[in-house]
Amino acid sequence: MQHVVVFVEHKAGATRKVTFELATEARRLADQLGGKAHAVVLGPGSAAIAEQLKAYPLDEIHLSEDSDVEKFLLAPAVEYLDAAAKSIGSCIILLPNTMLGKDLGGAVAARLSAGMTSDVTEITVEGGRVNCVSPKLGGALITSCTFKDADYGVITIRPNSFAATPGAGAGHVSQLEKPVGNTYAVSIESDVEEGSGELGIEEAPVVISGGRGLGGPDPFTTLLKPLADALGGAVGATRAAADAGWVPYSLQIGQTGKTVSPQLYLAAGISGAIQHKVGMRSAGTIIAINKDGGVPIGEFADLLVVGDLFAIIPELTKLVQEAKAVHA
Amino acid sequence: MKIVVTVKLVPDANAEKRLDPATKTLDRQPGATVLNPFDEYAIEAALQLKEKLGGDTTVTVFSMVPETGKETVRKALAMGADDAAMLSDPGLAGTDVWGTAYAMAHALKKIGFDLVITGGLAEDGNTGGVPCALAEHLGIPALTNAAKIDIVDGKLHIQRETDSGHQVVQGPLPAVVSVTMAVGEPRYPSLKGIMGAKKKTVTALTLADLGLERPVGSAGAKTEVLSFAPPPSRAKGQIVTAEDGPSGAKIIFDFLKEKKLI
Ligand SMILES: Cc1cc2nc3c(=O)[nH]c(=O)nc-3n(C[C@H](O)[C@H](O)[C@H](O)COP(=O)(O)OP(=O)(O)OC[C@H]3O[C@@H](n4cnc5c(N)ncnc54)[C@H](O)[C@@H]3O)c2cc1C
Ligand SMILES: Nc1ncnc2c1ncn2[C@@H]1O[C@H](COP(=O)(O)O)[C@@H](O)[C@H]1O
Repeated sequence: MQHVVVFVEHKAGATRKVTFELATEARRLADQLGGKAHAVVLGPGSAAIAEQLKAYPLDEIHLSEDSDVEKFLLAPAVEYLDAAAKSIGSCIILLPNTMLGKDLGGAVAARLSAGMTSDVTEITVEGGRVNCVSPKLGGALITSCTFKDADYGVITIRPNSFAATPGAGAGHVSQLEKPVGNTYAVSIESDVEEGSGELGIEEAPVVISGGRGLGGPDPFTTLLKPLADALGGAVGATRAAADAGWVPYSLQIGQTGKTVSPQLYLAAGISGAIQHKVGMRSAGTIIAINKDGGVPIGEFADLLVVGDLFAIIPELTKLVQEAKAVHA
Repeated sequence: MKIVVTVKLVPDANAEKRLDPATKTLDRQPGATVLNPFDEYAIEAALQLKEKLGGDTTVTVFSMVPETGKETVRKALAMGADDAAMLSDPGLAGTDVWGTAYAMAHALKKIGFDLVITGGLAEDGNTGGVPCALAEHLGIPALTNAAKIDIVDGKLHIQRETDSGHQVVQGPLPAVVSVTMAVGEPRYPSLKGIMGAKKKTVTALTLADLGLERPVGSAGAKTEVLSFAPPPSRAKGQIVTAEDGPSGAKIIFDFLKEKKLI
């Protein structure tokens, strides 16, 4: 028997869809492993998140409103998560595959002498063993791996890979005790949110990406953003665009950027280099707009429209907006 | 001030890559390994810091890698690092995140450091867990995802990227700092650097030098690879030429409707 523990990432009480994907998957795994589904929520705003989590089939929600979690880097969260896991006993810890999720996952795995596997897109249970499917080598290989010789396993999960399905659960809420005797070494002096309230590209169901073909920074906001808004998505980019300083690196998709799996990926002015492809090849549908019909992206896009993106995108945005208006 | 940069060698992303079906570990042919692209940024960050701090600051490259990786490690020296240390041992084959961080921590204690700089992710294993796991094993803080590193009055001042923006954090030395690509484009080795690298010291360490208490390699691993396969390939789709903007938009719009994406 093994329990499942979800680490809930949030910012002052605002969380993202991946939290509910994790909660849903935790229930499914816990049932197969004969254990309970837990969640751990830390820092100011935790109580509000716990209320939202009650709509998902969790057994126990452990929280602490301790403000140290947002005053000091990583260490307080590591202490709480480590202590919670030890009091729950043998368990699988699910975190989102985000910067924070990978940091906490690594630290907690070291403390618990646990196995760790990241960027997982599929989990199965066979004979009490948890098997995780994840891409390696920039997506060139898909591996399945399992935990061994460890009471604990740490899994970071790629957003948009699992369904988020509300359901009834005991939803019992309890307060975590503050780990004693620690002074935290790394203080957070300032914390700036960029593009707050918008979906991150890793979680967006639709990603509208631009490359060198956009020719400068402005078309990202004047051309791609309105289309992304109309389709309920986010704007992404190639490394060529990020290197040129047109967009921040946080929007870069590919081998040295983010990996996304949206339902729809629209690539405008992007050639489809292998280093870009590995970050978006698992999208549901890929559509490309390129003035050159011989580009590599034509080899794997579901649809390549050969034409001028500057002429096509504004018209497409209009069509989508009109269709939405009719349905609204 | 002694900075140690940890670098992993990974199969060349542009060469064909595979796992060895027998051992289910990565097949590392010597010719096909390169510096993990993310670690080039870690080297760059260390060299920038050395230039800023001046004085007796040194940069040591550390890699846990089979001996065949020596030539690739020299590339890091050619970029400007002062010397290197390699931990190589057949007993390390099959090591996972836990064992890597554990063995690296002991090796780093052996060679000594004031600051450890790592990349954010090794492209082959794709875990990103080592930097924080390493800090835990060393019992020192982790300052992760740094975009800018400064040391003022013996304290680390770091601007770091977060999932939703950025932070400024402050912490003590020694520490483990992982970096993002925002530290700046890694420099190319100069011809002088390449020539000089041949004369720089590469210290060889083996497991016998570390006296580990717990098993590493496959025996100590907490994860096991069960199977692997190439990803499902995407079929080639339609290629349609648009006469003008409106017709191109219509083609895409109809396709979205057909796929029920709108
Ligand atoms: C180690 C390494 C790591 C890398 N990591 C990444 C990564 O993570 N992500 C990434 O994206 N790249 C990465 N790259 C770079 C990658 O190899 C490509 O150089 C990059 O993806 C190209 O970006 P692009 O498609 O925007 O530009 P280009 O290849 O220059 O393509 C621009 C396209 O725009 C089209 N175009 C121009 N004008 C118009 C118009 N008006 N209408 C329609 N189409 C137009 C052109 O026909 C062309 O096909 C990496 C490279 C290396 C070596
Ligand atoms: N075998 C290794 N030798 C040296 N450094 C490593 C090794 N494995 C991981 N690292 C470091 O840890 C970082 C993150 O790797 P990982 O957590 O394995 O994705 C890398 O960018 C390297 O700096």
